[in-house]
Amino acid sequence: MQNVVDRKSKAIVRDGQWGHAYQLGSGETQRHDLSETRLWLTLLDREWQIRTEKLPRSEERSRWTESLSLTLPGSGASLQRFIRPDESGTVTFLPALAGLPTVIRPYEPLTIPPQGECTIYVGTLVWMRVCVGSQLHELAELPLAAQNMTWVGSNTMEGDVCYSAPTHARLMLEAVPKRPWRAISPVLVRNHRKVPLLLERFSLPTPLLGIYRNTQGQLWTSLTTVTCETGMNAARLKVDSTVPVAAGEAELLSAPREKAERGGLIRTVDRMFG
Amino acid sequence: MSGLPWAGWLAGIALFAAGFVLATLASRSVARFMLERSSRHHAAIVRRLVYYVILVLFTIAGLREAGFAPDVILGAAGILTVAIGFASQTSASNMISGIFLMVEKPFEIGNLIDVDGTMGEVVAIDMLSVKLRTPDNLYVRIPNETLIKTKVVNRSRFAIRRLDIKVGIAYAEDIDRARSLLLGVAGQSPLCLQEPKPFLLVLDFGASSIDLQLSCWIQSIDTLTARSELMIGIKQAFDSEGIEIPFPHTSVYAGAHSEPFRIELTGDGVPVAEQTETQQPTETTEEDPADAIKARGEGAPTETR
Repeated sequence: MQNVVDRKSKAIVRDGQWGHAYQLGSGETQRHDLSETRLWLTLLDREWQIRTEKLPRSEERSRWTESLSLTLPGSGASLQRFIRPDESGTVTFLPALAGLPTVIRPYEPLTIPPQGECTIYVGTLVWMRVCVGSQLHELAELPLAAQNMTWVGSNTMEGDVCYSAPTHARLMLEAVPKRPWRAISPVLVRNHRKVPLLLERFSLPTPLLGIYRNTQGQLWTSLTTVTCETGMNAARLKVDSTVPVAAGEAELLSAPREKAERGGLIRTVDRMFG
Repeated sequence: MSGLPWAGWLAGIALFAAGFVLATLASRSVARFMLERSSRHHAAIVRRLVYYVILVLFTIAGLREAGFAPDVILGAAGILTVAIGFASQTSASNMISGIFLMVEKPFEIGNLIDVDGTMGEVVAIDMLSVKLRTPDNLYVRIPNETLIKTKVVNRSRFAIRRLDIKVGIAYAEDIDRARSLLLGVAGQSPLCLQEPKPFLLVLDFGASSIDLQLSCWIQSIDTLTARSELMIGIKQAFDSEGIEIPFPHTSVYAGAHSEPFRIELTGDGVPVAEQTETQQPTETTEEDPADAIKARGEGAPTETR
């Protein structure tokens, strides 16, 4: 954790952490800057207050900064108020993946040869759950950046609305930029067909994925295996219930939003490749 | 009076009352159960079905207890039906139309529909009519017969829809630049779906502008918000890039073979324009040529906005 003193406010600026129980006193305000969001969390005698402000998308950030102060932001930030569920002044931030499937679109399509396979590393945006007290009462779930939507279906009558995430579809883990607000999702794509598989897009079942944190503090999701056996319209999907080997030693931070049908879910999914 | 079977009547009334209470409770319980597992539409249909079945059964039982024979009642009902049928053709038509609506299911409770220019959310589908709640919170009752006869647009049937926004640009503007700006606005908006992709059409060379249409796909529930957000985005983008959105205007041009307008400056500085057939505007010939052109009214069409 890196501590820096902000010259303007004289506050100590530290790196934010997922799953860490921060202790606040009444009247204190904690400020967080991460992704495209600036968040102020204030504890008062009877209530919690959350103020948020959207930051410009163009600003490239790689750090999640946290600082403590006694000042409140201006009226530009939107305010939410919550009655304190208990006397505790602790607040914990937990990550959560999208509640809808996320369509991963490589900037440049990738061709997988017949009977070939590859592992793609995708950075998946997380939502922030603000939980307070020892029982981790959830006050709010905040999107940290605006996420575009897309339609996955054979026509405009049948299909699903999903989140859309353009990606570089990196094959080397070292090349994946590590951001505190992005979970690394390894996707193993197997092409069991006799013709090459052109991977232009595929639907990642984010509601089925849990979030883990490894010893370096990076967020990871379970390994997803997509097997294409016959056509592009359907694929077999398997979601591991454990942390991927590449993540190293890791702990579960957030369980999947939706329970898998079996331990390692295996099912045929329509429109996996759009 | 003493000959009346009071005990039977009381038993009948009690049965009817019990049926009413039981039907209400049972239909509510069933509706609550269905709402957790099905749509509002199906829950409402099942609720109504349960209610009327229980009520009819208890009513028949009550009438039997009161001493009425069901066959006599049904016979009388047959005669009454003919008499009432003539008197209530409209109601009968609405009831039959209601059955067709239930079978065909062109919309469900909660859907946003358009009927004869009235748009609203379906709040109830009843035996005689469908009730809508308009966006400005008005309660509109539409007879079922009307819904069978007229065109109904269901805006909630599909999860996504295409939104078309027409915008005009001045003839002097670069269409390609406007196209990239408009597609950029759609691409940046979180309400516009990435796929199907947004696209731009050139609709017409209009009287005052080149008419363009930006088409993008959105979620059906976001229609009003998306239209408003996109129009704001388009205006801001055009303003920042200096692209003109022209409004209708008319150019008054005298033509090459017509005499130019003559403009004289009077003593109080108010210009007076008059058109002469023989006299040339000599007072402007020795001035700067540009001023002369301005003074003659050439090259400077008068705009009426």
